[in-house]
Amino acid sequence: MKTNREILIVDDNPADIDLACEALSQGSPPTHVSSVEDGVEAVAFLNRDGKYASARRPDLIVLDLNLPRKDGRTVLVEVKSDPNLRRTPIVVFSTSRAPHDIAGSFELGANSYVSKPGDLEGFLAAITSIERFWFHCARLPHEEEL
Amino acid sequence: MNSNSVEILLVEDSQDDVDLTLHTLRKENLANHIMIVRDGEEALDFLFCRGAFADRSFEHPPRLVLLDLKLPKVDGTEVLKQIKGHPRTRTIPVVILTSSKEERDLMNTYDLGANSFIQKPVDFDQFRKTVKQLGLYWLVTNQTPVTTSISMAARRTP
Amino acid sequence: MISAQSALPVVAAAPKAAGEKLSVLLVEDSASDVELTLNELRRGGFEVSFDVVQTAEDFASCLRSGSYDVVLTDYNLPQWTGIEALELLRQEGQDIPLILVSGALPDVTAVNCIKEGAGDYILKDRLARLPAAVRSALQKKKLRDDREHAQRDLAQKAEELARSNRELEQFAYVASHDLQEPLRMVAAYTQLLGEKYHGKLDEQADKYIGYAVDGAKRMQTLIQDLLAFSRVGRQKDAFSLTDTNAVVEQAVSNLTAAIGESGAIVKYDGLPVVVANASLLAQLFQNLIGNAIKFHGGTAPEIRVTAQKQAAEWVFAVTDNGIGIAPEYLDDIFVIFKRLHTRNEYPGNGIGLAICRKIVEQHGGRIWVTSQEGQGSTFKFSLPASEPYFQPGPNCEN
Repeated sequence: MKTNREILIVDDNPADIDLACEALSQGSPPTHVSSVEDGVEAVAFLNRDGKYASARRPDLIVLDLNLPRKDGRTVLVEVKSDPNLRRTPIVVFSTSRAPHDIAGSFELGANSYVSKPGDLEGFLAAITSIERFWFHCARLPHEEEL
Repeated sequence: MNSNSVEILLVEDSQDDVDLTLHTLRKENLANHIMIVRDGEEALDFLFCRGAFADRSFEHPPRLVLLDLKLPKVDGTEVLKQIKGHPRTRTIPVVILTSSKEERDLMNTYDLGANSFIQKPVDFDQFRKTVKQLGLYWLVTNQTPVTTSISMAARRTP
Repeated sequence: MISAQSALPVVAAAPKAAGEKLSVLLVEDSASDVELTLNELRRGGFEVSFDVVQTAEDFASCLRSGSYDVVLTDYNLPQWTGIEALELLRQEGQDIPLILVSGALPDVTAVNCIKEGAGDYILKDRLARLPAAVRSALQKKKLRDDREHAQRDLAQKAEELARSNRELEQFAYVASHDLQEPLRMVAAYTQLLGEKYHGKLDEQADKYIGYAVDGAKRMQTLIQDLLAFSRVGRQKDAFSLTDTNAVVEQAVSNLTAAIGESGAIVKYDGLPVVVANASLLAQLFQNLIGNAIKFHGGTAPEIRVTAQKQAAEWVFAVTDNGIGIAPEYLDDIFVIFKRLHTRNEYPGNGIGLAICRKIVEQHGGRIWVTSQEGQGSTFKFSLPASEPYFQPGPNCEN
């Protein structure tokens, strides 16, 4: 079984990606993080298109909603309707607390929705909680694959 | 307990597992309103507001469904399929909580839209830790979708 | 119009000064009656310009092409009646006073005409009344027009004000909302810097980073409060029957940490059901109770929430045993950003009570405070009572 988990973070804010990495670096075993900054790159990464030909298949996707080019909702739709990709759990991670964004994400097949807290402590705790549940409690599909 | 204020629907036919799960959740103050059903048919009746639960409303779904796979009457996979197949219930988070080690079950349930899959640890302590962790994540970290706005309308009888 | 051969008195031959201009539409089939009417008008001091019609078609067409101050019509005309003239006036959308000038009519007919909208009814053998009747009708019309004009003006100004308010609130909301994101970055990373480099740079650097973190956090709270302030009344807040006991319970639950730290006791009893927006009401109570906890003196805060029915209102009171407020500030404290203490003494940005006032006003109530410095304060606000009257809930203590 893989000991190093792979997370794909899709977020147009590099500062938030770095913060997430900051939190994930505390985990054990440490999580490997790949990141892309918009929805087009996200889908290309998952399909191992072009420059992502040797990308590792992520165990978990952490997805922001408001992204340039292709937004998070579209990514959700595309990934969850692709038989090769749809089993991968997607956690929507967004500053939006709007009920229609939350319900909408679940409608589109998101496995989970976590609000990005506005304070540092809360943010780090949220990422840690995500890592703890999905990598130390739940079982993930594709575990046996490399 | 008002069947419209259920937070967790536990679909489980093993009394031992029910006891342990309930005990852990309550001890961790994770949920006050837990509903237990023992088979797939009862689970579906509850979620689809019919049969013995005809007085329930679609506007007040549970925040989480913990679903075992091996169930009498209607099995867990079928229950999952129906929940995730119907627009009025498909946004309800469903976490599979099963002792099954079958790879096939793992893949299949994620495929059908299970929000997550957890294998019941055999070890007593581990089981408790798992329940605590899943409770914390799904009731605190995760944002539950709401179908209507929460209002503090006049209570009828406490 | 001067007629040298006129046998009429001189006064009709030429107006005294510039006579009141009057444009008349006459509906009359007798030429002599027309003459008599016009003369009477001129004698009354009017400078008359006129058209005469007999048929409904001509009447309508004159109405469309001309502009008249008054319509004078006979009742009995070939093929149509004076009442139909009223109807035509309405159809053409013209609010011109109509006066019936007719031979004797049965009373009931005359009354009917007035009911239908005729301004007056003048007998042909009492024409002397005509000028006064015309003046009276014109005056009534002017009053009607003035009132309409004033109403339209008022409506327009109200709309402009509402629009201006909406734009301002929209701006406050958007500004606050969009400011949150970059601020989140500043707050998180200054804090991260502080944590990672604490003790690794010099003491001064630690202090400077501390100031930056502090400033960022204060900005975050300020923006959140501004957002809350601008949100009140932004959309049509939904009002429904709300159990105030549940609302206060929610507010107290949100203040668990503060209550625990200060050892505060919050009592609330017999609170009614009111028509309100539950979430705004919760915010209101949370702010008031939160303040009561915050501004405590030497002893642990004791706070009581009560309600009393007074006429058509419920008057709620939040009483505390805290530091109180000096009398000169009692009016000011609801003003936005007004603070009475330094940040070292008590935290806060002075928006809480402004939000309270806005919420109360949104509900159609008023908010005020009474206080004794050193002993405590009572914040009171009123909410309109709803029908039917509900029994209050049980006594509660937190």
